[in-house]
Amino acid sequence: MLDSFLLEAIAQALVNGVISGTILAVPAIGFSAIFAVLNYPNFAIGALATIGAYGGWVANTVLGWPMEVSLIAAFAAAALAGVLVEWVAVRPLDKAGALMMAIASLAAAIVLENAVRFVWGNGLRGYDLPMLRDVFFGPIRVGPQQIENFGIAVGAMGGLWAFLALTPLGRAMRAVADNPDLARLRGVDPVRIAAITVAIGAGLAGMGGMLVGLDTSIDPLTGPRLVLAIFAAAVLGGLGSIPGAVVGALVIGMVEELTVLLIAPSYRSVVGFVVILMVLTVRPAGLFGARA
Amino acid sequence: MTPPIGRRTLAGLLALPSLARAQTAATGPIRLGTLTPLTGAGGPYGPVMAACVRAVVEQVNGAGGVLGRQVQLFSEDDQTNPEAGVRAARKLIDVDRVAAIMGTWASSVTTAVAPLCWENRVFLTTVSGADSITLLPHNGWLVRTQPNTTLQGRKFGEFAIEQGARRIFVMMPQTPFTQSQFAAMKIAAERGGGTAELLIYDATKPSLRTEVDQALRFRPDVIVAGGYTPDTSVLLRDIFRASYRGKILAFAYSVNQAMLGAIPNEVTEGVMTLAPSPAEGSGAYARVQRLANSPSPDPYTCQIYDHVTLVLMAMAKGGDATGQAVRDNVRLVSQGAGEAVDNAVDGLRAIAAGRAVNYDGASGPCDFNEVGDILDTKFRYEQVRGGSLALIRIA
Repeated sequence: MLDSFLLEAIAQALVNGVISGTILAVPAIGFSAIFAVLNYPNFAIGALATIGAYGGWVANTVLGWPMEVSLIAAFAAAALAGVLVEWVAVRPLDKAGALMMAIASLAAAIVLENAVRFVWGNGLRGYDLPMLRDVFFGPIRVGPQQIENFGIAVGAMGGLWAFLALTPLGRAMRAVADNPDLARLRGVDPVRIAAITVAIGAGLAGMGGMLVGLDTSIDPLTGPRLVLAIFAAAVLGGLGSIPGAVVGALVIGMVEELTVLLIAPSYRSVVGFVVILMVLTVRPAGLFGARA
Repeated sequence: MTPPIGRRTLAGLLALPSLARAQTAATGPIRLGTLTPLTGAGGPYGPVMAACVRAVVEQVNGAGGVLGRQVQLFSEDDQTNPEAGVRAARKLIDVDRVAAIMGTWASSVTTAVAPLCWENRVFLTTVSGADSITLLPHNGWLVRTQPNTTLQGRKFGEFAIEQGARRIFVMMPQTPFTQSQFAAMKIAAERGGGTAELLIYDATKPSLRTEVDQALRFRPDVIVAGGYTPDTSVLLRDIFRASYRGKILAFAYSVNQAMLGAIPNEVTEGVMTLAPSPAEGSGAYARVQRLANSPSPDPYTCQIYDHVTLVLMAMAKGGDATGQAVRDNVRLVSQGAGEAVDNAVDGLRAIAAGRAVNYDGASGPCDFNEVGDILDTKFRYEQVRGGSLALIRIA
């Protein structure tokens, strides 16, 4: 029988996992949205998360904006960088197929990462935020910043859902994702929709980068460290599925934390690889099929 | 059918790089390489290290070079990553044809690069600490100026016990020195009546909360945060959030001024750091202060200053600008009876005049044993107070 000590530890790990999974879900949604509409995996998502984190950092510490407004700056900076990557590096290769576009996005990621390094150096940067100790709910502890980040992540996902479900532009995006030819026949401009999707996807990645940074610090590798987990979450949920990305991120978050507890902390990164391997072997379409 | 390239032609072609190396070794500029981390976890140190070597080379060239030849420097980035390190080392060896590679920082990089060096008769100098490095079958083709991790681990353990610790929890990422360093800490802790436990974490994760929970279950009175700067900053934040009130020890290379500027003071307040100490007050140290334009240059910059000085003097001593000459002569200029020198220009002048020299470096005496480990060094103990490092002692 499991003793209460272990049960408490598991409960704490699950809470940690839900929180880290929710934050991971934000860039994972961005990744999946881009895949749904443009049909290629954008591996610049990690570097875009870094761009967002630094954009938010400039807004927060240099311009003195409050954290919530800085998150919008993070979104905007990453969205702009994402559209630039799309136009300059990826779009010119669209005739060469998804693999070439994915490779172009990888190359763009290296350029972006080193551009950040060139401007801000390798050192750590921290946001201008008070450092708070965790609050306890019985035996479970949660950080106030984590709760806030959790709320922001849920809010961002809710906003995206409302946008996709309730606005004409959102419906047009879903239409292109479902059937681009049919959408074109109905008068939807695929180039415009692609640009908007990339802006939203990259913006969400940027926001995710800043949310991670709020809880820790940022450096040029903040985003690239997340890429494996983001990709694993998207593959698990089903590439191109937005609800799938959310569920995938939550599962990855929780399984990683349980791995620390039940196997060994140094195997955390293995979770992403094992999940990708298992999904591709057993159910390549992922949990939620191929499309949102 | 005759193959397009015969076996002899092929053998001849394969031999070309070494022929070319032999030719450039005898004429033209002397070629040296730095392989430091310009990016990745070691990124804060590598650029300063490479700049220091460049400054020494400029001084030496200004004073007439070595053996009447100018010195040409090639600097590559190992990205604090073994794969990138090997690619960069290959470029330095095969394309730039350097006689020595200086400054590899992360132990994983040095471990990967060392065999390439000895196979190609290129001398390697490193600041990495993993014990396993000097135990490699390098046959004299490398030296290091960083004390090995067993010695560092023992110092950590003894310092923790001295702080009154009985239950020491060590948190480290996976590195080539994690196990050996922890083993040395544990022996020192147990000798002092304490006990020690190790947790190896994944350094790429943005949160280490569950790992910190594991640590706190051990009820430690000292936590040793044994990672590099990015992961240690995550770890220290999570330790703070968990309301841990005991003592924290860390490596000075991770809890550095860059980290202290990036995370709130309350997180790092009271953290004690330990590092091999440069030879403050020595002539060579004063020269590094001027070259690096810093009142307190980091230990690695001091060490690489010693590397380039020793390499150049060993070449002069051997009368040959090859890796072989450095290998055969490095101990003849680093230790033993001879005129004490603290810089390359004076040392080269003394050697040219036929005098024996004994280099006294910026990182310490720079005397090496037969496997390339230094024989003696001091350690620097500091504590974070109000966001700055305050010296406890050097011993």
